[in-house]
Amino acid sequence: MKTYKNQLFLIFCTLFTLGLYSCDPSKGAYFKEKKAEEEAAKPVNPDEEYVMITTIVNFPMYVNHDQAAFKKWGKRMGVRTTVLGPSEWDVASQISFIEQVIPSKPAGLLINGTDPAIASAINKAVDAGIPTVVYDSDIVNSKRHAFLGTNWYEIGRMQGETMVELIGGKGKIAYMGIIGLANMEAGFQGLLDVLKNYPEIEVVGKYDDKANVEEAARITSDLISANPDLAGICGFDAMSGPGIGLAVKEAGKVGKIKITTVDTEPEHLKLVRDGVIQTLVGQKRELFTWYGAQFLYDMVHKTNTLSGDDQKAGITNIPFSVNTGLFTIDKTNIELFESPY
Amino acid sequence: MEKYENDIKLKLNHITKYFPGVVALENVTLELKTGEVHALCGENGAGKSTLMNVLSGNHQPDGGEIILKGQQVVMEDQQVAQQMGIGIVYQERSLVNDLSVAENIYAGNQPTNGWGFINFKKLFAQTRILLEKLGMADIDPTTKLEYLSPGKQQMVEIAKALSQNPEILILDEPTASISETDAKVLFQIIRSLTKEGVAVIYISHRMSEIFQIANRVSVLKDGKYQGTKEVGEIVVDDIIRMMVGRDLVKQDYKSHALDEIVMKVEDFNGPDYLNINFELKKGEILGLAGLVGAGRTELARAIFGMDKKYEGRLFLNQNQVTINHPLEAMNLGIGYLPEHRKEQGLFLEMTVEENIVATNLVVAVENRLLQFSKITEIADAYIQKLGIKTPDSKQKVVNLSGGNQQKIVLAKWLLLNPKVLIVDEPTHGVDVGAKSEIYAILKELTEKGTSIIMISSELPELLSLSDRILVLCNGNMTAELPREKFSEEEIMHYASGTKNMFTSDLTKKGQPISVS
Amino acid sequence: MKLSTKLLQDRVITLSITIAILIIISSIIWPTKFPTFDNLSLVLLNLSIETIVAVGMMILMISGSFDLSVGSVVAFAGGFTGFLMYYFGVFVPVAILAGMGGAIFIGFINGYLVARVGINPLIQTLAMMGIVRGLALMVSGAGIQNFPESFNVIGQTVILGFQTPVWFMLIIVALFSFLVSKTTFFRKYYYIGGNEKAAKLSGIRVEKMKIYSFILISALAGFAGILLSSRLGAAMSTSGQGMELRVITAVILGGASLLGGQGKIVGAMLGTIFMGLISNVMILARVSGYWQQIILGLILILAVVIDIILKKNVGVTPKKYLKKAVE
Repeated sequence: MKTYKNQLFLIFCTLFTLGLYSCDPSKGAYFKEKKAEEEAAKPVNPDEEYVMITTIVNFPMYVNHDQAAFKKWGKRMGVRTTVLGPSEWDVASQISFIEQVIPSKPAGLLINGTDPAIASAINKAVDAGIPTVVYDSDIVNSKRHAFLGTNWYEIGRMQGETMVELIGGKGKIAYMGIIGLANMEAGFQGLLDVLKNYPEIEVVGKYDDKANVEEAARITSDLISANPDLAGICGFDAMSGPGIGLAVKEAGKVGKIKITTVDTEPEHLKLVRDGVIQTLVGQKRELFTWYGAQFLYDMVHKTNTLSGDDQKAGITNIPFSVNTGLFTIDKTNIELFESPY
Repeated sequence: MEKYENDIKLKLNHITKYFPGVVALENVTLELKTGEVHALCGENGAGKSTLMNVLSGNHQPDGGEIILKGQQVVMEDQQVAQQMGIGIVYQERSLVNDLSVAENIYAGNQPTNGWGFINFKKLFAQTRILLEKLGMADIDPTTKLEYLSPGKQQMVEIAKALSQNPEILILDEPTASISETDAKVLFQIIRSLTKEGVAVIYISHRMSEIFQIANRVSVLKDGKYQGTKEVGEIVVDDIIRMMVGRDLVKQDYKSHALDEIVMKVEDFNGPDYLNINFELKKGEILGLAGLVGAGRTELARAIFGMDKKYEGRLFLNQNQVTINHPLEAMNLGIGYLPEHRKEQGLFLEMTVEENIVATNLVVAVENRLLQFSKITEIADAYIQKLGIKTPDSKQKVVNLSGGNQQKIVLAKWLLLNPKVLIVDEPTHGVDVGAKSEIYAILKELTEKGTSIIMISSELPELLSLSDRILVLCNGNMTAELPREKFSEEEIMHYASGTKNMFTSDLTKKGQPISVS
Repeated sequence: MKLSTKLLQDRVITLSITIAILIIISSIIWPTKFPTFDNLSLVLLNLSIETIVAVGMMILMISGSFDLSVGSVVAFAGGFTGFLMYYFGVFVPVAILAGMGGAIFIGFINGYLVARVGINPLIQTLAMMGIVRGLALMVSGAGIQNFPESFNVIGQTVILGFQTPVWFMLIIVALFSFLVSKTTFFRKYYYIGGNEKAAKLSGIRVEKMKIYSFILISALAGFAGILLSSRLGAAMSTSGQGMELRVITAVILGGASLLGGQGKIVGAMLGTIFMGLISNVMILARVSGYWQQIILGLILILAVVIDIILKKNVGVTPKKYLKKAVE
């Protein structure tokens, strides 16, 4: 009997302790919200550093869009932003930049997804516990936390559909870009997938303009002399448009040869204004890096927590993949872009 | 006395020039009179070039003064020197092979038309006048330079200097690479210039020339002025004594030639030589005489396997051999000391020891690996043996004088212990002291049984050393002379083609002719 | 000659001192980031591929020549090996041999046309650079991934803290340092670079030796390319772009001269180490890529200028050697 009493007492004590424990206010939803607010209100450490690693670091399009938005974001948030990378298109060098940045433990890494080969470097960063976001092109086989970009296949399709409309579904078409780059090749595929539905369209060739204006212009003038009845040209890198435009102007074929291409730099816009280029497909590059950086920040500061311990639960508290979408520029909306800011 | 002072065109007073760590010129004084040819002598490295560079404005003297026609002047640069009437012909070529003679002569100041384009008509006309005046009317102003012979190219070089109408003309070894006939033309030009009052400074190693052309001679030694003499009052040995500070041992002729035939050349035909037949005896020195361009070097290079020949047979010790590369020649015991030491013989930026073992790296191999201590050991032995003046075997060759450089090339071939050694202009640009040392080395070689084929444009050298002389003219053999028939005049006749020992009907193909 | 000036003329020594100073200063500025094993082993890993090519370039430059097609060969060899493994399932060692074979063939063509036909090496290898880059694009297109694991281990295994490319680099540098200084075969390249005509007249088979040197650099570039593919687990048609000029820069920093006849294999590695450290320091200092190029360019000019000044001041003059010879 006495032992039974003792046992009851023990059980009671245990239950009481358990009850007390479950009343821990830190487990309450209210406390959680409050904590998140406190976290957000806390002044950020100005030494907190976010590093962007790209290639051709001084490429005007990257500087004016990607890097400008990233730096603007850094100023807004009061954190340090750094842009690193080789000054030419050199993936191996970009990899070495990533690898050498890892030991200095930045708060987050924003990486231009130039080539699938950078996967192992990205994995090293992720394994070192650094939040890592890839933008522009996805590195599918890597452990990156998030990706922001556009679907290059879509860019190709969009150009294809526009071109079909411009030339009335028949005629000779050529296209150019940087041959061998994964995203370009996807774009080429998108274009071809649209064009193959139109038997009256003949694709006369695929050309490598090496992202070089002179090269693009040279290819175009050769194309025009070989095919006087050329109906349209599609460009896939930032230099294709200016190069094609130049050659078409010089050949006196403005308007006769339809041009669709990518990117919205001032020289592209001018060519649209002059009627040389009919349609531009734009990427929202600013959004890549602005939100990419924001994702990194949210990961570092655990802005949204989805469980008691996201890391243990295997949850990444930011979106896995974001498609920022595309837009087009033509004669009808050109003035809205000529003074965008 | 007053008159004499007026006669002095140029006076160098106590010129001193330092280079880091060394005094290149010390207190050098020199007078140049109107209309005289003033020879300047000295061993290589004695300071002649530095003195010329001071005169032409390339270097500024650290002390002393230059007095031109009684006025002290400063030669700020080459252009200033040119304006003051000093023309200079350097030892190195300053001409462009691809341009015409006229464009080369008036390189800096071609006549132009109103638009700034070159007026070629005027350019060619004024060049023609200049060349005629200099007695070089046979040179066409429109020819590309590369089509001219080395002698004619040298003339163009001189014409270039004279196109500025200089009052003082400096010639640095002008006959180094031209034949004797061309040299004679050159001397005529010099004489006519002096008649017009031009003063000439003539730098040369060739004593005979100095006695032919110069009025006075000044000697430099180790950057110091040794004195000036009237040429009429001295003999060659006096100059040599001033230059080297000692008397030279005269070479006594003694033949080491044996009867055994080591090499036989049969029917050699090539782009620059025709129907060459000769034999070479063991221990013999066979001289090859001829004018520049006679085909001697080309023949030697063909024997050595450097250049291709059209046809011909080569026998070594009665065995027919084919040689397609210098390495094959070397393996058969043939060596070739090339004509142009700096371009073909030496690795200028490499050390003395690296140069000496260049032909035969294998001697320094132990256990299949190179031993650097062994290289030094071998090099030191040759430095000692040939009396090469160098601080040590690790010295870069470029820093040594011409004579010592030539000894290094020679050492390279001695190391190979060749049966046949072809030496092409072995004393070209070498000072007198080193010259006689090189002769002694060659003699010693023949004593040990090596046969030597010697190509030389200096007849005295050929005459004193050779056991037998072959003469080539325009690629044809015109004479084979035994020692007792040696004479400068004879050789010049055969070399210039005015005489031919083998007229075609006398020559039997394939039959080497022996006159001994 | 004073010992100090003699030492200063030896690029291996001056460059080693410069590297030591760079390491000390960087360790003071970034005590927690720079002198760590992680960081330094990464620096070595990232310069290992270029160093392997630089060894070949050093030998070529000693012989007075150079090769601009190496960057393309790196891309082609890696791409061709990957192409065979990925598309045709070729057995890994066979694919590697094929990649090497392709590289060696390119080197032979370069060597043959330069040495036997007499095309200027600048023109020949410039043309080859374009041709081989095109071939690399053909075989690797948009890039090839997913190689067999047995291929990836070649470049991704870690031994004693260093990834395999570092070990390959050290072995190749050690091997060629030994060969170049101790065998008559490689010694001949100094003579060819010193004076080609004199070398031929000294019985060196200049043309053959030149062909061998082009084959050697192509083979090394091919090996480097295969190693790079293995290390990255991917073949890219763009890899090795601009490598030729970086390698030539490193080799000149390491003591080679465009005129030939000079240089040591160790110098080539010191050159790449120096460039690798500069690049690492720039990353730690968060300086952008183009500054890196500006600084490297300035350092290259400075190194050559210092060299010229040093050499001018120690020229032995006639008087000096005469005196010594008399002694």
